[in-house]
Amino acid sequence: MILEGTFKDKFLLLTFIILFSYSATALSAEGGPCKDYGECDEFKYSLNDFESLQRGASTYINYCYGCHSLKYSRWGRVASDLKIPEDIFFENLVFDKSIKSGDLMIGAMPSEESANWFGVTPPDLTLVSRYKGDDWIYSYLRAYYEDSSKQYGVNNLVYPGTAMPNVLLELQGNQRLVCKNIPVVAPNGGEKRDTNGNTIMQEKCGFLEVENGTGKLTKEEFDSLIYDLTNFLVYVGEPIKATRERIGWYVVFYFLIFTALSLLLYREFHKDYNKN
Amino acid sequence: MSAIAGKFFNWVNDRLPIVNTFERHLSKHPVPSKVNFWYLFGALAAVTLIIQIVTGIWLIMPYSNTEEQAFSSIEYIMRDVDYGWVIRYMHTTGASLFFAVVYLHMFRGLLYGSYQKPKELVWIFGCTIYLAMMAEGFLGYVLPYGQMSYWGAQVIISLFGAIPYIGESLELWVRGDYYISGITVSRFFALHVVALPLVLIALVFLHLVALHEVGAGNPEGVDIEKYLDEDGVPLDSVPFFPYKVLNALVAIGVFMTVFSIIMFFFPEGGGYFIEMANFQEANPLVTPDHIAPVWYYAPFYTMLRAIPDPLGGLIVMAAAVAIFFVVPWLDRSKVASIRYKGIFSKIAITMFGVSFLTLGYLGTVGVTEVRKTMSVICTVIYFAFFLLMPIYTKYEKTGVVPERL
Repeated sequence: MILEGTFKDKFLLLTFIILFSYSATALSAEGGPCKDYGECDEFKYSLNDFESLQRGASTYINYCYGCHSLKYSRWGRVASDLKIPEDIFFENLVFDKSIKSGDLMIGAMPSEESANWFGVTPPDLTLVSRYKGDDWIYSYLRAYYEDSSKQYGVNNLVYPGTAMPNVLLELQGNQRLVCKNIPVVAPNGGEKRDTNGNTIMQEKCGFLEVENGTGKLTKEEFDSLIYDLTNFLVYVGEPIKATRERIGWYVVFYFLIFTALSLLLYREFHKDYNKN
Repeated sequence: MSAIAGKFFNWVNDRLPIVNTFERHLSKHPVPSKVNFWYLFGALAAVTLIIQIVTGIWLIMPYSNTEEQAFSSIEYIMRDVDYGWVIRYMHTTGASLFFAVVYLHMFRGLLYGSYQKPKELVWIFGCTIYLAMMAEGFLGYVLPYGQMSYWGAQVIISLFGAIPYIGESLELWVRGDYYISGITVSRFFALHVVALPLVLIALVFLHLVALHEVGAGNPEGVDIEKYLDEDGVPLDSVPFFPYKVLNALVAIGVFMTVFSIIMFFFPEGGGYFIEMANFQEANPLVTPDHIAPVWYYAPFYTMLRAIPDPLGGLIVMAAAVAIFFVVPWLDRSKVASIRYKGIFSKIAITMFGVSFLTLGYLGTVGVTEVRKTMSVICTVIYFAFFLLMPIYTKYEKTGVVPERL
């Protein structure tokens, strides 16, 4: 055996690994990045769904790119990675006709003026999915609500006091914070009932609800639009992510074979002196 | 043809000790015939060092060490350089795994007494390598010039300011500016890619030369030099090449599998290998919510935070690393291996391991009252392990070490 260690040695290493991974998971339970929203909604990217990425890119360029540059990304690269033929891409999504395929997507708005307009310069979003996380973006864009005390009449549960107006308001409709009567949860996890068997209700506030008929899209359509947009931002944060995960399997497979072959070679040679 | 090649080889060998060196350090170099997996991390550290050097060279080519371009040149590597992302992720994953295998390698040393006479120098060179690695890792982390690069450097450089009298001017001298700037980045770049790698390579060379002089240890703590065959070769030994090389090859296979799983599927290591805040360009006007070091410095960072006084914290932190150097003289035991040491040594090393990991965990999370108390307790245990070593190793009842391996 290659591991000639005693049981105790292996036990020690195992303890080491378990304690280490324990401390690693303990961190992820720390503090909510989604603030008043509670737990962020989970987002599962699908970087091989090119239609989703294309819709996301189109939403981004139409609604976001006016203020938010993607300055580390290049136009032509987005077109080719997302499998959009370059002529169609430049025809429909690139509004400044002087832009060339290899140009960086440096944005359309001068940063000093925008700082005057919004109070802060809208940040570049190339890497937003990497420093905020995809769960955060997906939750943030769906957590706007009406709040007349704010400059643009809206606030956000995920990012209270956000400087960004709800650009997608016309699509989503007017979202408000409402109160609802909901069943009280019993200590055993079920609904709490009174002695007559009736469920005990309690008013709770802070639920997001869209006013009927105010938006162009239904809730499902809007969620799916945000899904595509977030998916696109995940792509643009790390354009090689899909490639990386694809190549990864081959590399891991290669090293597994490598390990197996070297183990066989090792055993063969160790017959020399392990006889006694 | 082969006759000419042979002649040429002899011509070179007469002028350069090729055969001698190969025999002395590889094909005839005796190593203990029975060791366990703990003895493989040294080879893995060497492999990682080579990975870091090679990927480092290729990263230097497109990297720009200026304040304006440092951050964007990293994104340039990640996007526009062909397979630049492979090189960069290898380097970031390699950095973390380098520390991981070195920590395991050091723990092996503590478990099996790999510092005991006559291996004191091997141990001291090793501790110096670790010290150089800590500096190298810190300098490298500043180069991408993200938010954590900037604010981490701010915290570490301000430590120099805690030194009495010369502190402030020393801080200024290290930084080269009144705040962290392009000047700091370019000097850290020079140190990271030239100065410290030279030091590291020289130290690794010395570590190995010293090791080959005194011979490798084994988990039983048996002195294999006692029983020799007629040629003077220890009976309980095998030649390093090919036996131990093949042994290491299997370990390298397993290690590289783990390496590639991390690098291709979890390159950020859940925010431990590349911190999320480091994907934002350095901004002197915005402090991140909480500044956490990368995991491999976390235990020492916790000690720094556990002491309310900055100078006191600095002294404790420096002492925590420095104390490793004197371990050969703290251990008074007659036996080397934990297998034959007494119960107190076993309790002590377990408590040390647990407190070190706890310190590491505490360094990555925010401070609360309970955590503060825990970090003080763990710091005390950490030092107690070393400071009480002369007592518990001298007076405990030890087992009988076998004659042969």
